[in-house]
Amino acid sequence: MPASLFARRAAVYLALGLAVAIVAFPLVWMTLSALKTNAEVINPAAPPWPAVPRWSNIGEALSQAPFGRWYLNTAIFGVAATAGQLTTGLLAGYAFALLDFPGRRVLFVLALSGLMVPFSAIIVPMSELLGGLGWLNTYQGLIVPNIASGLGAFLFRQFFLGTPRELGEAARLDGASELRVFLRVYAPLARPVTAALAIILFLQNWNNFLFPLIVVNTTDMAVLSQGLSVFRSQFTTDYNLIMAASLIAITPVLLLAVTAQRHIIEGITLGALD
Amino acid sequence: MGELISAAPLARARRAGSGRRTRALAYAFVAPTVLLTVAFSLVPLGMLLWRSLHGGGVFDLAPRFVGLDNYTAMLAEGGGHALGVTAVYTTGFVVLTMGAGLGLALLLNSRAPGVARLRAPFVVPLVVPVVATALIWANMFAPRFGVVNRVLAALGLPQADILSAPGPALLAVLTFGAWQFFGQNVILYVAALKSVPRDVLDAAAVDGAGAWRRFRHVQWPLTRRHTLLIWVVTTLTGLQTFTQIYVLTQGGPDGATSTALYYVYDQGFVQFDTGRANAMGVALFLLSLLVTLAQLWLVGRSGRAR
Repeated sequence: MPASLFARRAAVYLALGLAVAIVAFPLVWMTLSALKTNAEVINPAAPPWPAVPRWSNIGEALSQAPFGRWYLNTAIFGVAATAGQLTTGLLAGYAFALLDFPGRRVLFVLALSGLMVPFSAIIVPMSELLGGLGWLNTYQGLIVPNIASGLGAFLFRQFFLGTPRELGEAARLDGASELRVFLRVYAPLARPVTAALAIILFLQNWNNFLFPLIVVNTTDMAVLSQGLSVFRSQFTTDYNLIMAASLIAITPVLLLAVTAQRHIIEGITLGALD
Repeated sequence: MGELISAAPLARARRAGSGRRTRALAYAFVAPTVLLTVAFSLVPLGMLLWRSLHGGGVFDLAPRFVGLDNYTAMLAEGGGHALGVTAVYTTGFVVLTMGAGLGLALLLNSRAPGVARLRAPFVVPLVVPVVATALIWANMFAPRFGVVNRVLAALGLPQADILSAPGPALLAVLTFGAWQFFGQNVILYVAALKSVPRDVLDAAAVDGAGAWRRFRHVQWPLTRRHTLLIWVVTTLTGLQTFTQIYVLTQGGPDGATSTALYYVYDQGFVQFDTGRANAMGVALFLLSLLVTLAQLWLVGRSGRAR
């Protein structure tokens, strides 16, 4: 290996190592702080690592707030919203791609119009609407408005436009009903797309903070992100416990991310570049 | 005649979706998406536009038409400032995350062994809850014991209460926002650079083009389309920054970090001035619409990405 190439590679590793360190640092800082006594956290002269790691902080944080309930709420919301988004998107995408019916164009524009209306712009009317329905602080209030996914419908339509029409024609010649053609022939083909989309939609729902903030204001209906925010306002100066609470919230998602990183990368690319 | 008969089933199969039962199935398939989109996107949008032109709050039973009064009040009462903050924040956000994304993707694209596996860490900030990381950054920016102040002290520089000073607070929120998001642009630029054929790059190298010229004349022009798409996603994300600000600064100090969306939330759900909140909501909608229309136009102009 010539010296110049060696130097170039060293520079590449160094730059990437620095970037990875920047990503990792806050998470390391959180873990170290979560295992300290509060006196150690607020003493600027204390070393960055705990003298004796106090794993009991995690148990203490858990016992101080209904994390179990918050996890359950987040899981119910995340799973139900994701399942709804995938199902409605799959059905609509298939119909728009492979079936002819009067009004298809208009309905497609309507289906995608949601992409033009960011939720951030309509938080006030949304809370009025859900208040009028009596859906504030309910699971249906969290889930139902999030079921339709313009992105899902769009991506599934793109996918089905790329599948051969002959498959359906052959099945119809064999006398299969339209529903059977969809269920037996086309839906199974969409499995890889569904998997990639499922993961990023689930992560988006799991980490959604603004929507629950608008719909829910009771502790027992709060999702995990809101719960963390509540926890912080109750334990303002227990910095070690706040960091322990963050650790409790981050760890499971982190494990999911490590195991499913390839699917996540695929999903991100699918959502933005196609 | 015989031909017609034998061709009939095939023609029927070809004309998929023309039968009455097929039509019923198609409508049933698109109904959930269409109806829910109308109910929970278009109806609230209509309410937003209508209410932004009318006076009275939520509890006012007789709203009256007030023209653009809500808009002028919004712009005068901190809304104009919030739009300015949003412009500064979004610009910084785009520059930082796209610059870091492209730079790191070029490094990850190099042929040094083992480099490809280094993509994984950049996914992490994208998937962890923003509230949890915001609490970490609040801790890191804390006066005296936060890591930033520890570093300042170690360097013999004066201590600072970063989140209580307007300029530093905005910079702090921006740094955190960029940290949380830049991994997405790393991943997207890695995908974009993968679409550049290796043999074209190799040919350029054989012709004696250095790394900079290969980038300038091969990689950059061939990924221009991806850059446009990445810009759209990044801009929309920057425009709608909320959670970082909600947790770290509550829009303070003195409105220095109050972005458009935080303003909508603050006016609508804290001050209960829905007129101003809705006027800003409309502004946010129009800004996002502009960006989205730009996207549709760009995508329409240049076909599919891959």
